[in-house]
Amino acid sequence: MSVDVIVCVKTNPDLQMIRIKDRQPVLEAIPYKVGDLEKNALEAAMQLRDAAGGGTVTALTVAEGDRKVKETIKEALAMGADEAAIVSDPALVGADPAAVAQALAAAVKKIGTYDLLLFGEGSTDNYTGQVGARVAELLGLPQIGYARKISVTTDGVQCERSMDDMIETLAAPLPAVVTVVSEINEPRIPSLMNIMKAGKKPLQEWTPADLGLDAAALAPQRQIVSNLAEEQDRKHILFEGTAAEQADAFVNALLNEGVLGR
Amino acid sequence: MEKVDCIVVGGGLAGLSAAYGLASAGLEVMVLERGDYAGAKNVTGGRLYVSPIRELYPELWAEAPFERAVAREWITMMGDGAHTTFEVAADRFAGETPQSYTVLRARLDQWLAEKAGEKGAMVVPKMKVDELLRREGRVIGIRAGDDEIGADVTVIAEGVLGLLASGAGLRAEPAERDHAVGFKEVIELPPATIEDRWHLNPGEGAAHLFMGAVTKGMLGGGFLYTNKESISLGLVVGMAALKQDPDQGKCFSLLDEFKEMPQIRPLVAGGTVAEYSAHAIAEGGIAQVPRLYGDGYVLAGDTAGLSLNALVTVRGMDFAIASGYHAAQAVLAAKKAGDCSAAGLAGYEQSLRQSFVLKDLETARHIPRIIENPRLFTHYPQAVSRLLESVFTIGPQPSRRLVKTLWRGVRKDFLNVATLKDAWQMRKL
Amino acid sequence: MEIDAKLGLDVFKLDKEPHIVVKNEICSTVCVNRACLYVCPADLYELDDQHRIVVNWEGCLECGTCLICCDARALEWTYPRGEFGVQYRMS
Repeated sequence: MSVDVIVCVKTNPDLQMIRIKDRQPVLEAIPYKVGDLEKNALEAAMQLRDAAGGGTVTALTVAEGDRKVKETIKEALAMGADEAAIVSDPALVGADPAAVAQALAAAVKKIGTYDLLLFGEGSTDNYTGQVGARVAELLGLPQIGYARKISVTTDGVQCERSMDDMIETLAAPLPAVVTVVSEINEPRIPSLMNIMKAGKKPLQEWTPADLGLDAAALAPQRQIVSNLAEEQDRKHILFEGTAAEQADAFVNALLNEGVLGR
Repeated sequence: MEKVDCIVVGGGLAGLSAAYGLASAGLEVMVLERGDYAGAKNVTGGRLYVSPIRELYPELWAEAPFERAVAREWITMMGDGAHTTFEVAADRFAGETPQSYTVLRARLDQWLAEKAGEKGAMVVPKMKVDELLRREGRVIGIRAGDDEIGADVTVIAEGVLGLLASGAGLRAEPAERDHAVGFKEVIELPPATIEDRWHLNPGEGAAHLFMGAVTKGMLGGGFLYTNKESISLGLVVGMAALKQDPDQGKCFSLLDEFKEMPQIRPLVAGGTVAEYSAHAIAEGGIAQVPRLYGDGYVLAGDTAGLSLNALVTVRGMDFAIASGYHAAQAVLAAKKAGDCSAAGLAGYEQSLRQSFVLKDLETARHIPRIIENPRLFTHYPQAVSRLLESVFTIGPQPSRRLVKTLWRGVRKDFLNVATLKDAWQMRKL
Repeated sequence: MEIDAKLGLDVFKLDKEPHIVVKNEICSTVCVNRACLYVCPADLYELDDQHRIVVNWEGCLECGTCLICCDARALEWTYPRGEFGVQYRMS
């Protein structure tokens, strides 16, 4: 059999590279990359394709602002996705999860044939964790969240997920939406040869109009008013004396603060 | 094996300059850079002298993301209990076509990578080259991970350590006598504060070097360059001297002691440290420049040992860009002639010999050995400061005539066997 | 400012495997000066309780000073793989 998978990918700022200055993240000149959890989803998709012995992995993204999306999505192609598609429009700058889900759902319809839609459980930047579920709703598909193992047979998809004190196995008919957690796999690092090939793979670019959507209707319904690093007051308590005395004083201080013995 | 016209190992200024030239002429060129982006692994002091390279890619420099045009040169000689600072400003330093700019590499190299990309070069970041592929002595391409890619010519611009080139026997391994370690902090300060502290008009910059007590007598010195909204403050110490002297304490702590010195503290006051970095620097001069080309390859930038510490001027990035330019021209000529052997690439070294790169290194041939003299970093900064201190001192006893004071100081500190010997050596500077 | 605090300002992307390996059998027999303990600008080298040299390679600035200063050639030293190691944002 063959499996066609669409992986919905968000391009995120490389969070590790962000500096905080005056409590604000410095986003100027920050590199963008395919989100970490989306890399897990891509890896899972490629493993399913390869295990099935055929099929297509398509990386689909919505350009939320000027995120060098065309460059960044090539990372997905270099990892081994077969095709890529981008939905972009100035109206999508700062798009909220509802709008992103609408654009993705319309693009998925446009692509047409697929067995599985994969998402990361959330994006590494805003982490709303909503988009996968919203797309499933818009397309009327079954959805399984937080999968740490996926297998596909002709009967459908089977996923395992960890529920803290138990392991749950769920099954759904195809096509289905699955969101994955990071422990599902170790995403591969693109090889030089695959990076060279990535530039030649098919890359579709659509506007909302191409997908029959009204761009104005996708405008964000909410704004980020402020984004400040948390401020923490430090107690600046210095314990002196022997090691034993310091340990006692330290434990007492923790008890007094209500950190211990709750 | 997949093949391209030219592979450039290393997306620093030398490699990107070569790639820009090659791609502009329509060659298929691939730059492999191990950092997340060009500039991610690079460190400069830093100042780039643009006047030597302005004519090489004249279209580029007007839009380059430089920090500040250096309008003032400061030098501080530090002794015990006294120090002397010279501040030199000249119209030609800045003005219409400034001779040098302060730079930060993450910004500058990314920009040059974009420019090379616009010309058609394929710049691949996050990609480390593991090996130079050789067949019968000829460099035929590279291996990165499990992938091998062939090239007619490989431009090796992998940086100062030259691990690939020395691994393949194309140059010697780096030796401690010829290298220094530079380490610095980038310290954020408001632009107006920077301009106040170094007497600058808005947008202008300063370069400030420190000699003497900062390195505790070891070969090297302190540097401070003003960026737009930060300063780069650091030290350079010769590795041989550093290693010889375990009593001087741990290398990194010198920078903290430097920052605490009363001459420096007010300059960095109120600043926020934003980054800490370190890098090796080739300081051996022309004597350690290896053979620059061979069958299927050329060496460029730091890998070729193209840098020069002449005490008051410290250069490397202009050499890197120029060597990349000349490497590109030589590769283009070799490709045109259909001969990428050593004979076909020999034009590279010829053009570097005719350019400022090897000419300036030749002129400075004796500097690396002269500056091994520890008195340069102990006695002289102290003596200059002591001399000037005596001129400005009024004590309880009646003063001497100025000339007498000066003469006493000069005779004591500058006219003895050791200093005359030094002067004889320094005639080669 | 503590050296650890300075390194805390830098971005390090950590690989699973170290890119520097100390061959202590050489350190304990050939090396006379243990220069790595004081030349490293990130202060990454230290002695463990059995007087073996250990390197905290995670904070490596990739300058190569230790490599150049190691006469005994006791270091297996490569650059980290692509995607890993220090990533300067200014410098």
